[in-house]
Amino acid sequence: MRKHLLALGATLALSPCLMGQKIGVINSMSGPEAPIGENISNGIKLAEQDLKAKGIHIQLVWEDDTGKPQISMSALEKLATRENVVGVVGPYTSACSNAVAKLAEKYRVPLLIPAAAKEEITRQGFKNVFRMNAPADKYASSLIDAAVSLGKPKTIAFIYENTDFGTSTSKTAKAYVATKGLQVVADVSYPKGSADYRSTLAQIKSKNPDLVFMVSYVADAILLMRQSREVGLRPQAFLGAGAGFTTTEFAKEHAISENVISCTQWTDDVNWPGAKAFGQRYKAAYGKNPTYHAACAYASMMIMGETAYHANGDRAKTRDGLKAGKWNGVMGEVKFADYDGFTNQNNHQMLVQQIQKGNYETVLPAAFATKKPVYPFPNWK
Amino acid sequence: MNKTILKTVIAIAVLAGLAVVPRFVESPYALHMMILLFLSVSQGQSWNILGGYAGQHSVGHAAYFGVGAYTTMMLLQAKGIAPWVGVWAGVAIVIVVALVIGSICFRLRGPYFVLASIAVAEIMRLMAINLTTLTNGAEGILVTELPAFKVGERVITDFMTKVPFYYIGLALALITILITLWIQHSKVGYYFQAIREDQDAAHSLGIHIALYKNVGLVISAVLTSLAGAFYGIYVGFVDPPTVLGLDVSVQIMLICIIGGMGTLWGPLLGSLILVPLSEALRSNLFTETLVKVGLVQADSRVGLFLKENLSHAHVLIYGLLVVLVILFMPDGLMGFIKKLMKRWKREAV
Amino acid sequence: MAVFFQSLLSGILIGGVYALIGIGLTLIFGVMRVINFAHGDIMMIGMYLTYILFTFAGIDPFVSVLISFPLMFIFGGLLQKVFINRVLDALAQNQILLTIGLGLIMSNAMMLIFTSDYKILTTSYSSSTIKVGGGVSLSTPLVVSFLITAAITAALYWFLMKTDTGQAIRATAQDREAAQLMGINVKRMSILAFGLGAALAGAAGALISPTYYIFPQVGSVFTLKAFVITVLGGMGSVVGATLGGILIGITESMGAVYISSGWKDVVVFVLFLLVLLFKPAGLMGKSRT
Repeated sequence: MRKHLLALGATLALSPCLMGQKIGVINSMSGPEAPIGENISNGIKLAEQDLKAKGIHIQLVWEDDTGKPQISMSALEKLATRENVVGVVGPYTSACSNAVAKLAEKYRVPLLIPAAAKEEITRQGFKNVFRMNAPADKYASSLIDAAVSLGKPKTIAFIYENTDFGTSTSKTAKAYVATKGLQVVADVSYPKGSADYRSTLAQIKSKNPDLVFMVSYVADAILLMRQSREVGLRPQAFLGAGAGFTTTEFAKEHAISENVISCTQWTDDVNWPGAKAFGQRYKAAYGKNPTYHAACAYASMMIMGETAYHANGDRAKTRDGLKAGKWNGVMGEVKFADYDGFTNQNNHQMLVQQIQKGNYETVLPAAFATKKPVYPFPNWK
Repeated sequence: MNKTILKTVIAIAVLAGLAVVPRFVESPYALHMMILLFLSVSQGQSWNILGGYAGQHSVGHAAYFGVGAYTTMMLLQAKGIAPWVGVWAGVAIVIVVALVIGSICFRLRGPYFVLASIAVAEIMRLMAINLTTLTNGAEGILVTELPAFKVGERVITDFMTKVPFYYIGLALALITILITLWIQHSKVGYYFQAIREDQDAAHSLGIHIALYKNVGLVISAVLTSLAGAFYGIYVGFVDPPTVLGLDVSVQIMLICIIGGMGTLWGPLLGSLILVPLSEALRSNLFTETLVKVGLVQADSRVGLFLKENLSHAHVLIYGLLVVLVILFMPDGLMGFIKKLMKRWKREAV
Repeated sequence: MAVFFQSLLSGILIGGVYALIGIGLTLIFGVMRVINFAHGDIMMIGMYLTYILFTFAGIDPFVSVLISFPLMFIFGGLLQKVFINRVLDALAQNQILLTIGLGLIMSNAMMLIFTSDYKILTTSYSSSTIKVGGGVSLSTPLVVSFLITAAITAALYWFLMKTDTGQAIRATAQDREAAQLMGINVKRMSILAFGLGAALAGAAGALISPTYYIFPQVGSVFTLKAFVITVLGGMGSVVGATLGGILIGITESMGAVYISSGWKDVVVFVLFLLVLLFKPAGLMGKSRT
């Protein structure tokens, strides 16, 4: 009798319902993007806990792409063909996400991208690729609109890293400023990892731009601002589009981060359900404040987990579920829709924040603002 | 005489075995590993011709690899030109590039030659980043769908599985090995080795140094560019650091150093060690095996540490391997094996 | 005009740090004829050492040079004794590969210990400037590091010219066999030279850390720069490396403005090739085989 019970138990234990649906995760867990990738990993882990509490068991298969697109691609192949996952959440960077999107469509695996900016990713008519965050065109428009609403800037300078992320985001922004009648007085793409931007920044300063639009990851963001201060570059506003300008490390550099305006997908003081609690919970669990990537990843995994569960592990049904569903959570309302040439894009509201007294304060849109924006940029102290 | 026949028979048997592998092995992962192996062998054998036989140790072979990869991908993406046509454009370009680089670098000797070869590869990488209209700059070129390969009206393959890539890789590796074999027994090869051993003496014997150095370079560069083109269409994505970076050049050299430079089987041996080792580390195979065998508990401090970190340590282990090989086996594995065999022969007599 | 002077001055200041790295490399090559591909990684270790001293002991990066210099000297000496010494008579590419291997071990070991996170040292004066007038301002930490570099270079020059040991090192660099015949312990000179080279690289790392960021792979960029500098200045010439470093600093800085930020590195490499082809002994070097 015992033997039969054991056998029965073993069979039940092996059934996917109790083992959980297999969901793949591709993330930059090592390499230069790792500090931000960490937020994504942690957000996903919190989601795993919450799904479990709801009775939804998932089995995560983690793949580290080290920030390189070709490794991301082979990770997706492995997840799709060897691990036979129901769906994949990730990757992080624009370059990796773009590369992986094509493969996800080829293998017909539902892919939910949490935080990559490059617009093109969801402009290719791919039925299996979904994106949670607002793409680069929103980065550009939310920042430029904010500046234009707060003052009367006429000229703008661009400085961005010459990677996929930097180039594609600034390309979109340049197109947008043309529609707003702003004149581009400088357009500098720099190779990541330079020690010295001073001469370039001095050159930009000589053109007297009203706005300076920057796209960088963390380390360059800090160097750029430090050296801007050194050369005395003082536009009406510094617009930071990009992950580097939204991290705690950046805000901590009080002397140089004060009053920098950046755009973000999420802050913890927006009145989306559970946003504040998520921020507090993240801080309690991991000892630091989450970036928006954590919230994006959390929401993505919650949605993917639930949808995969209800679709009983079927990829096509999961994809349909993602397309049809509507959610409201820490990222606000989420619906993957087709609009303006985008496919399966969540029309997410971006927030404009400004560092005031070392803290990120949401300043626009007015409905979500906690503080008034400081404009123009006051003199360097 | 008997030995040669035996060797040839074994070689043909191995080749036949490799040719039928895809019929029995379905796992795309296993085929992927074999393809990586073939790629590594091709790269190593190509470098070996210039570095091992002719003694010109270029640490800038990424330049040729990258030209091959980029030309094929650029033509494919921009003009829809099929890679089996585009690759020849790459070959033509790389011959010109190689001759230019040769004219710059071959005037220098020893460490200066090495430094110059690095500088030219870096210049090519920076050009790829900056000439954005041509190469898409740092964003790279992404092409995941290849046109179907047709002979007349019949579709041979549409490249949907890994099998066609397996055969292309096998063919490429075979070509590089055969060319190396030819070089080893030809007059050209003897001139190379003379130049390697003592350039001035070779010159005084009437060997046209500049000509033969360039011949070696061109052969090496063309084969490397073919490997680059293959890499491009297989992976589907190229960007400046991936195909033109310094670590590509170092990697190619490593295959030969570990296996043994200037030998026919050196790069093959080096690849047989490096490719599985790298993959095993990256995919946590070691840790999982240790856990399975019971030496390490999966949840223990050691277990967790290994799981988290061993996969990132594969470059560290490369470094250790290089240091150990240079210090204790400077002629690579082949050199080590030859020494052993000599000792056995002596003992047998 | 302000842009011109700003570029020039920034270039000179950062050139000072480059010079220090170049001097270390040129010493090593001069004495041992070894191309040290791990030089940038040694600098990286110096940077992490500075980081540890700053974060856990609160020691200012510039002050910590006093600690890191001797520590890196010992580290370099050990490296020479255990590894480099064995390949002094080997083929050039074996030496290069050995140092490449050592560099890989160093950078990846640091990656395992510290992760690839970028570490930024923020001191009270990290962003402060000295206004020079005419719209040009100089970064205070860069000025301080330039002054310290000048002091170290002067001290090194005095050491090489005026002390017995220094002259012994120079003799070994000039002609190893003759020096040995003269009774100089060339093995010890090699250890000293490598130790000194490593100490200088470590010091350069300490000096640049308030104005840059620290991560395990930071070495490779500086190794290549160091080679360009030493070739430019002449392998084995301390004065040459100093001038070469400043020249490269200026080229980069002006190149970023007057050509483009993306192409400035190409300019440096092209300059490098031109020197290799037309004046391989460098600016100050004497012709050597």
